[in-house]
Amino acid sequence: MIVVRGLAKTFAAPAVRRRGLAAWRSLGRRRGDANGDRIGNTSGVAAVRDVGFDAAAGAITGLLGPNGAGKTTTLRMLAGLIPPDAGTMTVDGIDVASRPREVLARMGVLSDARGLYPRLTARENVVYYGALQGMEPDAAHARADELARMFEMSELLDRRTEGFSQGERMKTALIRALVHDPANIILDEPTNGLDVLATRALRESLRWLRTPAGGAKCIVFSTHIMQEVERLCDSVVVVAHGRTVATGTVDELLAQAGETDFEEAFVALAFAGEKAEAGR
Amino acid sequence: MSGRLRVVGTVLRKELVDAMRDRRTLLTVFITSVLMGPLVLLAVSALVASLEARAEERVVYIAGLEHAPSLRNFFARQTYVVKAAPADYEAQLRKSTFSHPVVVVPADFETALVQGDVPVVEVVADSANTRAQAGVPGVARLLHAFARERVALTLALRGVSARVLEPIQVEDRDLASTQTRSTRITGILPYFVLMAVLYGALNAALDATAGERERGSLEPLLMNPPARWTLVVGKWGAVAAVSMLIAVLSTLSFLPGQWLLRSDTLAAMFQYGPSEALRFLVVLLPFAAAMSALLMAVAIRCRSFKEAQASATIVVLAVSLMPLVSFFNLGGEAPWHLWVPALAQNTLMTRVLKGEGLELAQVLVPLLVCVAIGAASIAYVARMLRAAALK
Repeated sequence: MIVVRGLAKTFAAPAVRRRGLAAWRSLGRRRGDANGDRIGNTSGVAAVRDVGFDAAAGAITGLLGPNGAGKTTTLRMLAGLIPPDAGTMTVDGIDVASRPREVLARMGVLSDARGLYPRLTARENVVYYGALQGMEPDAAHARADELARMFEMSELLDRRTEGFSQGERMKTALIRALVHDPANIILDEPTNGLDVLATRALRESLRWLRTPAGGAKCIVFSTHIMQEVERLCDSVVVVAHGRTVATGTVDELLAQAGETDFEEAFVALAFAGEKAEAGR
Repeated sequence: MSGRLRVVGTVLRKELVDAMRDRRTLLTVFITSVLMGPLVLLAVSALVASLEARAEERVVYIAGLEHAPSLRNFFARQTYVVKAAPADYEAQLRKSTFSHPVVVVPADFETALVQGDVPVVEVVADSANTRAQAGVPGVARLLHAFARERVALTLALRGVSARVLEPIQVEDRDLASTQTRSTRITGILPYFVLMAVLYGALNAALDATAGERERGSLEPLLMNPPARWTLVVGKWGAVAAVSMLIAVLSTLSFLPGQWLLRSDTLAAMFQYGPSEALRFLVVLLPFAAAMSALLMAVAIRCRSFKEAQASATIVVLAVSLMPLVSFFNLGGEAPWHLWVPALAQNTLMTRVLKGEGLELAQVLVPLLVCVAIGAASIAYVARMLRAAALK
């Protein structure tokens, strides 16, 4: 169960930003918070203005939005990588800002960056993360085998990831993110660079993870592809210009926009957001 | 705490496996850093051996031999073999194909000598031709001895003692011990060991920081629960271990190198046994650890491995320039030398080679500097890690 309310983040403008200063600000979050808004209003880029959603356990929640809508920034804040300027986030009732490590232990994140270690085998990549999550080696190995069977990766498991295809790399990164059997799964554009078959396989896996047999996981994934949302999501959060502009099931959103085609509905909802933005 | 130690161990093990699988890089480092020192030692010993062989050779090359029977007679009496110089000796000396100085005698040498006209005798060498140049003092000494004999004979004919011309006697006394003298030749060894340590750390340090950023594996790594400093300490441990391994290997590589020395004199002067190797390590290991952390701190700011290599050049350059202060012996050995990394290690290792003992205080100062550099660098990397992951 993930609850996000009123999330906002403004980045200092790249030209003004200095690494040293940025690092200093991130040192003391409170100081950063106090100054953040002022800096943001004068020279910053508001990546996220007001994002909020509830993602239930045993359900797939899609974060749908055009490029640059603030999806990746939202997920990075959820993973504790970026401190938000405003808003609250809880994962299974645990506050992300004050107890980030406990949250990370309950979360598997497939982020935008999904680099592997090319000189290690797929198994070693996975078991390394298992160990970092505090798993015993035997348990991590068993889990790697189990997940590899699920994603049809068993033959590749003991090969170095050096020559892996895009799809094989994505699967390895996903297995790595799931090694500690987290209750919450966050995926940032997971189908990027995957072919049709790999995409279908991923969809199947996510559907299974949602079921009680698969652990009734709380799955949040971001995408800009309509079909994925239509076929997979129990609940959709439409994000545009850093704001949540609509939430609901696919049918509810269709009704809300008065459309029969989901793509048309999405454009209408996101475009309405844009209009509102222009009116401000 | 045990949980944190476990994380450090996990990261350290993974980074070590990763570094050890980079066979080609390791091999390159091994060949360039570990074998380079002994090879240089061998080259130096070959040079010294050939100089020694020449000293024993007792040959003098003369151009215009036929004009100087008296000189030839004198050299023969000094048990030197006199040979005619090749006709194109100047060209050969320049090209370093001929490695002896040549005595050039003018055509009217004997007549001028008898008439007291002071004939000019040239000793020809090329200062760029090291081996020929090394023979010049010996030949010059021989010629002066010839001149002195002539003077003594002339004075004796007139009933004057030759001592009149030499009111004082000058003698050299060299205070340097055999080992101290040898450091003029072997003084370059600490430099090679220092560079070996640095190159040993370089690749692993860059791969664990900038390489991780470039691969896009840093962001997912930080989405694991462990505290960032435990990740950094683990990474540093692995880099330092690789660097220390290279330090140990390059230090030990001089042990067999010593048996291969071709010059007996040099072998006798170059005292480098297990106890010297151990002292080298006492000096080198903290340096390896500190440099590993420093290189990581430099590289964490860089987005790609290539960019990091460019930045790391500054560190490499600084370390390679520092020992030059003592090479040129600027103002002798000063107390502040021990506070400067690389220079301190170079100074201490040179002392070991000179056969002077290491005092505790001398080891403690550089150790303190290394600990400070290491700790500051690790703290910096830990602080920069999150910003680095987000690019």
